[in-house]
Amino acid sequence: MGTTPILRMAEVSRVHGSDTTAVRALAGVSMEVHAGELVAVMGPSGSGKSTLLNLAGGLDAPTAGQVFIEGESIGALKGDGLARLRRRRVGFVFQDFNLIPSLTAIENVALPLELDGQRVRRARRHAIARALVGDRKLVLADEPTGALDSHTGEEVLRVLRERCDAGAAGLLVTHEARHAAWADRVVFLRDGVVVDSTGSPATAETLLDPAV
Amino acid sequence: MSVKLGLLALLAEEPMYGARLRAEFEARTGGTWPLNVGQVYTTLSRLERDGLVEAVGEDAEGRIAYRLTSTGRAEVAQWWLSPVDRDSTPRDELVIKLALAVTVEGVDVPRVVQTQRTATLKHLQDLTRLKHRATGGTDTDSYDIAWLLVLENLIYTAEAEVRWLDHVEARLAREATRPRRRAAGIPGGGSGAQGRTTTPGDTTNEKQQSSTRA
Repeated sequence: MGTTPILRMAEVSRVHGSDTTAVRALAGVSMEVHAGELVAVMGPSGSGKSTLLNLAGGLDAPTAGQVFIEGESIGALKGDGLARLRRRRVGFVFQDFNLIPSLTAIENVALPLELDGQRVRRARRHAIARALVGDRKLVLADEPTGALDSHTGEEVLRVLRERCDAGAAGLLVTHEARHAAWADRVVFLRDGVVVDSTGSPATAETLLDPAV
Repeated sequence: MSVKLGLLALLAEEPMYGARLRAEFEARTGGTWPLNVGQVYTTLSRLERDGLVEAVGEDAEGRIAYRLTSTGRAEVAQWWLSPVDRDSTPRDELVIKLALAVTVEGVDVPRVVQTQRTATLKHLQDLTRLKHRATGGTDTDSYDIAWLLVLENLIYTAEAEVRWLDHVEARLAREATRPRRRAAGIPGGGSGAQGRTTTPGDTTNEKQQSSTRA
């Protein structure tokens, strides 16, 4: 049916520290990202955006709730399984491409050089797309445009958009409204809680399916 | 800006009759400013009266084309070189609404801000989709540059509004942690803003239940 979301977060919380020093970074957030969908997360700094993204990619573990990728709970995965999942199914894009775990060191160095060119339109975009995310089902991007000039930043978003149009599920954390606007849906986070959204989950079908 | 200057700018290229002027104007401004033909002819007759344009005779179908006079030409040249007058910008309802919201008792200001931000972002999403389409997705060398510039202006304007709303929210959160002072200017003017301030945290908690399913 294709109704299983690529990413599902169920009542996910993340508390740092304990007792009196506990800081609640994320408090019971539930969300879904389906194939073909790009969802942007906005919110002031400290609202839990990056925590959300790290949990979605298995870079951090929730203190409560569960994260599912293609229906599989990643909390149940051990070291090797988790590493394999991250490598094969999840693509990460970090600020300014400073570090992309799925690339080799040489690719990480080569990429900014590649981005410097002015005219290499289509071919270059495809190259970036391949380098960044390959055919991974879930793409997680944390302020991917960072300090890039606006033209290059836009190229990055275009790649992300096209990856999602081609069937990937994307989660984009950004504080820039102009960038969030490339998404199908923008979710607002404040104090670790989802406070609003510009739309509802991908399909009516999903809403009606009690199993989801 | 007036329709008058727009028409003069187009006539500087070549003589045109009313209907064509209208079509050119709309096409080149990306349809953001629709004109009706009546408006165009009224403007043309006023321009003719003021000596800025003159009729160059009828074509076979009885349409009268107009061209610029030297006075008209000077007017257009002057316009290109003058900055746009921002003093005549119409008032922004959102600014007034928020200014009132922070002074009128019992308004959930963070909620007003969030509601607007969501709406503006939806608008921004629509504009971004149009832009993506306008730039042809992949074939980025063939697009309508005028339409693209108009779209990008709308995008930047919407973005600025969201940024300002973020700022309003941050400032109100900061203000909420300080002792309140009554707004200056109206001595003894009621209870002012005291005791009304809602911190962002309060509203989020209220909405938490209903909004966890994003």
